[in-house]
Amino acid sequence: MSGSPIAPTPPISPAEMLVLVSRASLTLNPGQMADLVLAWRQVVALLALIPRDRPLVDDQAFVFRLPPPVIAAKPVATARAQPTGAAATKPPPGKKPAGKTSAAKKPPRGKPTGGKPAGQKQSAARKPLPNLSSGGRSARPGGRR
Amino acid sequence: MTTIPSSLTIAEAGRLIAAKKLSPVELTKALLARIKAIDPKINAFLTITDKAALTAARAAERAVMAGRKDPLLGIPVAYKDIFETAGVLTTAHSRILQHNIPKHDAETVRRLRAAGTVMLGKLATHEFAIGGPAFDLPWPPARNPWDTRRFTGGSSSGSAAAVAAGLALGALGSDTGGSIRLPAAYCGIAGLKPTPGLVSRRGVIPLAPSLDTTGPMAWTAQDCAILLDALAGHDPADPASVPGPQLSYARSIDTPVKGLRVGVLRHIYEHDMPASTDVLQAMNRAVAALRSLGCRVEDATLPPLQEYNAVGRVIISAEAYALHEATLQTRLSDYSRTFRIRVLSGALLRAAEYIAAQRRRTDLIAITAKAFERFDVLISTPAAGAAALLSEQRPDDGFGRPLATTLANVAAVPSLVVCAGWTAAGLPLGLEIIGPAWGDATVLRVGHYFERETGTRDRRPDI
Repeated sequence: MSGSPIAPTPPISPAEMLVLVSRASLTLNPGQMADLVLAWRQVVALLALIPRDRPLVDDQAFVFRLPPPVIAAKPVATARAQPTGAAATKPPPGKKPAGKTSAAKKPPRGKPTGGKPAGQKQSAARKPLPNLSSGGRSARPGGRR
Repeated sequence: MTTIPSSLTIAEAGRLIAAKKLSPVELTKALLARIKAIDPKINAFLTITDKAALTAARAAERAVMAGRKDPLLGIPVAYKDIFETAGVLTTAHSRILQHNIPKHDAETVRRLRAAGTVMLGKLATHEFAIGGPAFDLPWPPARNPWDTRRFTGGSSSGSAAAVAAGLALGALGSDTGGSIRLPAAYCGIAGLKPTPGLVSRRGVIPLAPSLDTTGPMAWTAQDCAILLDALAGHDPADPASVPGPQLSYARSIDTPVKGLRVGVLRHIYEHDMPASTDVLQAMNRAVAALRSLGCRVEDATLPPLQEYNAVGRVIISAEAYALHEATLQTRLSDYSRTFRIRVLSGALLRAAEYIAAQRRRTDLIAITAKAFERFDVLISTPAAGAAALLSEQRPDDGFGRPLATTLANVAAVPSLVVCAGWTAAGLPLGLEIIGPAWGDATVLRVGHYFERETGTRDRRPDI
């Protein structure tokens, strides 16, 4: 089933714009309103480039899911090893995430003072390179897109 | 204090520090002195954390003497001022957050600290990472080290200016429509927008979460790879984060590029966004350089750039407005005019229009992914010309004009900008190298070999 053709976004009259701005609880002075009119004209031109008459069943959700990464056997990846397109394999099976960070759990030591970071001594003493392959569970791969 | 060249890269400094031939303390002192002397000309820094930097540098030095060897140990870096830093002012270059002092580090900041880097301070941005240079904010906009009358590009403006001027060896930026890659191009450095999900965004003030990414900026592609090794990895606290490929970007960067299939998006710079003669010549030279490296180069075609831009701009307007609506209702005049012009129109967008943009994005992701069945990377120009004069920038500039860089954000693919040469007036030009999702290592390799082939890393701004 195809969708019906969609009428292009109509121009907004100054009176209509006042209503919409008021509905958004915004208070604009005349200069700011003039800027908004200018910006909206540009947005209308952009909207005209986005097709709207799509079949209803064209997609099931307004998200995308990236193809999973290829887990390289060797440390050096070659160009051909990169995944392309929508590969059908699932992401690597979930292991437990690599533990909560101390930054997330503990507030930094010392009083916050602009320009004087706290907690640096603590962090600088951490282990060498971070784990590049934490292999942690994917919360929702691409789920917000 | 020993004399330390301002042209040091992360790779070089890391080797010297590991060999105990360069002191992290001396390096940090040298850069702090350079910041004091040069930053007033380019306004790259909003906050300089000099005392904490020296404390961190001493800790790094002790670690070196104790035998620790890490490529980022003792390397001075700085952060775009939308990355939260525990106990250090994080303003987003905005009056709205003028006194904001976060309690925690962003995950990326935490990772770089853990790798042993030394934070020099916080860097200028466009307000909340959108718009252009604004003169109605508490801090001035950053200026281009190659010509201080000129724009740096944005929004990671201070990050690019600081690295180009040799004030920091590396920096972090964010990229929603080109905010790492445009300033990288205008300032003649390297900047990587990674595959979405590869680098955490937790603790980074968002602009448009559907499109936001964070990534490294440095003098060379190799330095970006070294930073990416520390930055990449799954973060359960970022809902878009996924476990990326298990590899070292720095180690894989030397894998030869001979035989790689390179698609040239000629229609972008010849038709969709007609570029200057300087850019056209730079692109011709880039194609020749890649051919001489043994790459198989031919033209490639994607949908018109205007389609990617329309989708990206509508999503950014809608999401940025949603994030700022409550503050806009109460503190509208505290935002810059530039920000208001870019974001307020989101108040008028209808849900159906936003969803239409997201649905079209899904198409464009699939179409772009299809192109990578024929090509390993695609190349184009990140900008139609070199950096413009700051005096020519207007708050309403550019909103309707297409940005080449937005393509990679909308298509959810990695993209690297490296220096492609200079105009006759000595202003840098960029080359954009776009890869398939998770092809970050490949774009870094191509950028690395391109820099070596063309010798563009031997010239620094005279400031």
